[in-house]
Amino acid sequence: MFKMNKAAGKKGVKLCAALLTAVIMITGCSGGSGGSSEGNWVSIEDRYTVDPEKPAWQLDKKEEATDLTWYVNADWWNTDFGKDIVTKKIKEDLNINIKFITGDDTKLNTFFAGGDMPDLLTVFDSNSPVVQKAATWAMPLNDLAEKYDPYFNKVAAADTLNWFQLADGKTYGYPNYSNTQADYDSGNIPAKTAFIIRKDVYEALGSPVMGTPEEFENVMKQIKEKFPTLIPFGFNSIGEGTGSLGDTLQDFIGVPLETENGEFYDRNQDEDYLTWLKTLNKVYRDGNISDDSFADDGTAFEEKVKSGKYATMLLDGTPQQGGNLQIYLSANEGKEYVAVDGPQSTKGNAATLNQSGITGWMINFISKDAKDPAKAIQIFTYLLSEEGQLLMNYGIEGETYKKNADGTVELLPAVKDLQLHNADKFKKEYRLGEFMFFGHDRHKALSADAFPEAIKQMQEWGKGKLKPHFILENISPDQGTPEARALSAINAKWNSTLVSMVRAKDDASFDNALAAYKSFLGENRWDDILKVRSEKMKQNKEKLGIQ
Amino acid sequence: MNGKVAKEDLDSRIFDTLNIILLVICTVIIVVPLWNVIISSFSSGKALAEGGFIFWSPEFSLENYRAVFNDSSIWQAFFISVSKTTIGVVTHVFFCAMVGYGLSKKYIRGRKLYVAMGVITMFFSGGMIPTYLLIKSLGLLNSFWVYIIPALFSFYDVVILMNFFRNVPDSLEESAKIDGAGDWHIFLKIFIPLSMPAMATIALFNGVGQWNDFMTTKLYITDQSLYPLQMMLYEIIVQSQTQSMQNIGGSAVIETTTKGVQLATIVITTLPIVLIYPILQRYFISGMMLGAVKE
Repeated sequence: MFKMNKAAGKKGVKLCAALLTAVIMITGCSGGSGGSSEGNWVSIEDRYTVDPEKPAWQLDKKEEATDLTWYVNADWWNTDFGKDIVTKKIKEDLNINIKFITGDDTKLNTFFAGGDMPDLLTVFDSNSPVVQKAATWAMPLNDLAEKYDPYFNKVAAADTLNWFQLADGKTYGYPNYSNTQADYDSGNIPAKTAFIIRKDVYEALGSPVMGTPEEFENVMKQIKEKFPTLIPFGFNSIGEGTGSLGDTLQDFIGVPLETENGEFYDRNQDEDYLTWLKTLNKVYRDGNISDDSFADDGTAFEEKVKSGKYATMLLDGTPQQGGNLQIYLSANEGKEYVAVDGPQSTKGNAATLNQSGITGWMINFISKDAKDPAKAIQIFTYLLSEEGQLLMNYGIEGETYKKNADGTVELLPAVKDLQLHNADKFKKEYRLGEFMFFGHDRHKALSADAFPEAIKQMQEWGKGKLKPHFILENISPDQGTPEARALSAINAKWNSTLVSMVRAKDDASFDNALAAYKSFLGENRWDDILKVRSEKMKQNKEKLGIQ
Repeated sequence: MNGKVAKEDLDSRIFDTLNIILLVICTVIIVVPLWNVIISSFSSGKALAEGGFIFWSPEFSLENYRAVFNDSSIWQAFFISVSKTTIGVVTHVFFCAMVGYGLSKKYIRGRKLYVAMGVITMFFSGGMIPTYLLIKSLGLLNSFWVYIIPALFSFYDVVILMNFFRNVPDSLEESAKIDGAGDWHIFLKIFIPLSMPAMATIALFNGVGQWNDFMTTKLYITDQSLYPLQMMLYEIIVQSQTQSMQNIGGSAVIETTTKGVQLATIVITTLPIVLIYPILQRYFISGMMLGAVKE
């Protein structure tokens, strides 16, 4: 097609190469300048004088409404503002208009590259470079609080602020669902993991115990015999992770979190855990784990939960499946899923169930480009206060909920009815429990309405079995390091190994898969990763004051 | 003699039969899943959750479509999608044809350089962030024209058109010139009508691309009133996926499932393109005929 003259072609290539280099150099130099300013410290002199005893949003006399853009790094975030009861109240109380922008990491990158940042930012991965380098683009919450709203320190958890402190001694982001040791101790955090079984199946089998591997295997066989249409054992969809057969199962049978010397413990190779994997392999070979379970995505799994396909399940995230379990319960009263003790450690370890840790989930930042940082920190304070928390979860007192004498909270019947029978309208008009930037479990504990009936017994079962996993949070090697790359390869390898082990045709292939994984570790900087992790665990302990 | 004919007859009959069987199998493989998608999109959430049907749903319902069309802004999005596709296709084809016409002329100065520059862009692109910065400084962020202007040119399409134009006999152009026609006249009255099959092909490719594209919106548009259908539906899908996660109250009635909404979305987005194909098809057929009588 293109018969180019060879000499001219060579010249052309050289010219283009030179051009390309020039372009790269120019763009390379001008890039990454977003957020190099020192922050927009507006004056509040004519608006209010700070009062440590009073939240600033009650003092602020700013007349005109403040327009803020808030970027949420999740496509699914509902971008409405000011239409439903919750955000309408926020809008009125704070005199603000929020424009939400949603997107994924790609969009986030373009914001940083483009240099015009939104006022507020919410991201999810505390290990990401965006969070690690927050000091370059976000405003420190400590300074904001001191200058504009000292009341913030009353509503923010000191442990959480401490946990998110960067090397410069300042905290830039504040998460939701961050649970501190005090929260764990209070007993207000419900467990989210359970081994559940359909009540009709459980009763038909005479409430069997299935704590040891042999018992478990046997019960699965019996289920297959008596309920041939059911899949005896199910677990969370695997996708690219391990479903509930990884950490969840390890927590369930109480695999230790660290070695005796306080160093990183390779829980995947724990003997107790491997014994249980072998048991699952036997259950699989008996035909009591469906091959589909390994291939199902989240949606397919949820649909099986909704229709009660599994006789038993090791379920992680009971609140997330709450809606599905409730649908099944409503249609099949008496056959609902109940939590039972299920698999136990062969060594007598107690369960150490995990819950949302101190890192939390969504992390909120105020960017240096924020038009009115005073207003922004007021939003933080407002949403973190008791008032904001109640509003977010239950709406407005007298309008959507009432307070009982014992301090618990109850939704009014009309609202409750809508929640049960017209979820779409409920979501649109009330949006309770959804505007959760600073959501917290302890406010969920206030009301019987916060969780669906279907999972209450499961939460009750989990009482006393939770153990914070704080020391294991954010201990992966920093992104971009060779260790981080090796670790992601190892994780991928482990996930596929786990599936091959459970699906192994015989003992030999089970052992082979495990051996292959072990040698893979040796080839992929496992020792370096261990060092990084142990070091980070040590830092975590220092932050938390654990020795 | 007779025997030979009979044998040939038998041979061709076996061949035909096998052919038909093979084609039927292929058709079934293609049609059944399509049919299942359509039927499932009209199924109630309960029927979908239980699953197990292929040709006919045990429980029909329009809830999935209601969930998708619930949002009033969907019509606005539909309008955006249609206008960006029509305007985008027309301008793209016209622009590429113009460039292709120019580059097909051997007497154009620096033609090789232009072609070489174009070829380089086929293999190396600026990358996402530089492109974003460019779009930003052109003032195209949050503007409808971001769907049209950056999509005007595709060197790949230019190459196709250029080659097609080269096949038009030079004598045709010469005689037109003698009759006093200018470049515009020759381009519009001779080359374009003669190249309809190529134009139709490019229009279809580009149209499908424009119709399905939502990355442009994701990157450059934050104003919801400029969302095309694809982006709107994308959001409906992600929201229906996370509904169970957020709305932990849990409704007792299953009206829609994520899968149902997804399937309805597939039908809604694919239908317009499927409907347009038969209209463009005559150009493809005439294109083949044209090829058959070529010198």
